[in-house]
Amino acid sequence: MDRRTFLKASAGAVAGTVLANQLTAALAQGGLEGEDIANLEKGLQQVLGKSFKDLTLSQQVKLVAPTIAESGANVPVEIEASLPADQVKAIHCFCDKNANPLLFTVILNGVLPYYATRVRVAETAPVRAVVETKDGKLLMAAQSVRVTVGGCG
Amino acid sequence: MAINILVRFNPAKPKAGEEVRVQVVVQHPMEPGTRRDASGKLIPADYINEVNVTMDGQLIAQVKPGPGTSANPLFAFKMKASKAGQLKVTCKDLNGQTGEKTADLTLA
Repeated sequence: MDRRTFLKASAGAVAGTVLANQLTAALAQGGLEGEDIANLEKGLQQVLGKSFKDLTLSQQVKLVAPTIAESGANVPVEIEASLPADQVKAIHCFCDKNANPLLFTVILNGVLPYYATRVRVAETAPVRAVVETKDGKLLMAAQSVRVTVGGCG
Repeated sequence: MAINILVRFNPAKPKAGEEVRVQVVVQHPMEPGTRRDASGKLIPADYINEVNVTMDGQLIAQVKPGPGTSANPLFAFKMKASKAGQLKVTCKDLNGQTGEKTADLTLA
């Protein structure tokens, strides 16, 4: 083949491997795109007095959020817990890379364990829903949201 | 100046015992305090930090939004429409502005 095609092909291959390496590195940590546990820890300590290792990933918490957000200032999230209503004390939501990792806290008392709202996501990061149960367990569901236009300025 | 609140039930007239989605939309700029205006100055933080929802006087939900919540925020809940009653939503922001709205939940 001619030189131009060869150069294009090799540039593509190099870019591909670099990207693949980054992605596999992130996935190898079992992590989501844009994960930043250090920043998340600050928020967790401040709000719950707990650390990331106290959270349990749970299938009982369902978090619905777009994988790619049209606007970082307006990301719809929906959280539902398949637990009996009287076992859920509160729902918290965090975003790893926001300056203030806590997005919101909802304390429920008699409504079903469901909540939906729109949040600001500063940059591509996981959005984590943490359900606090009456017996002190912290159940988590997380999803990475890719952001092109940041939500916090 | 009071904050405007809109409350909507979905379905509007649920049957007894049916799940009803309560949508609360509040008109508020929700400035996180990290955005800058055209001249580059930081826009001061001005967001709602407390929303209380009561049903016939009993507190059923309390939301503590923060700088991470979008402008003109939507707060949606789901509850079982066991009986008709009056839903009241009150909210308060950083500058002490408040808003209040009542809506009657009627059964089909």
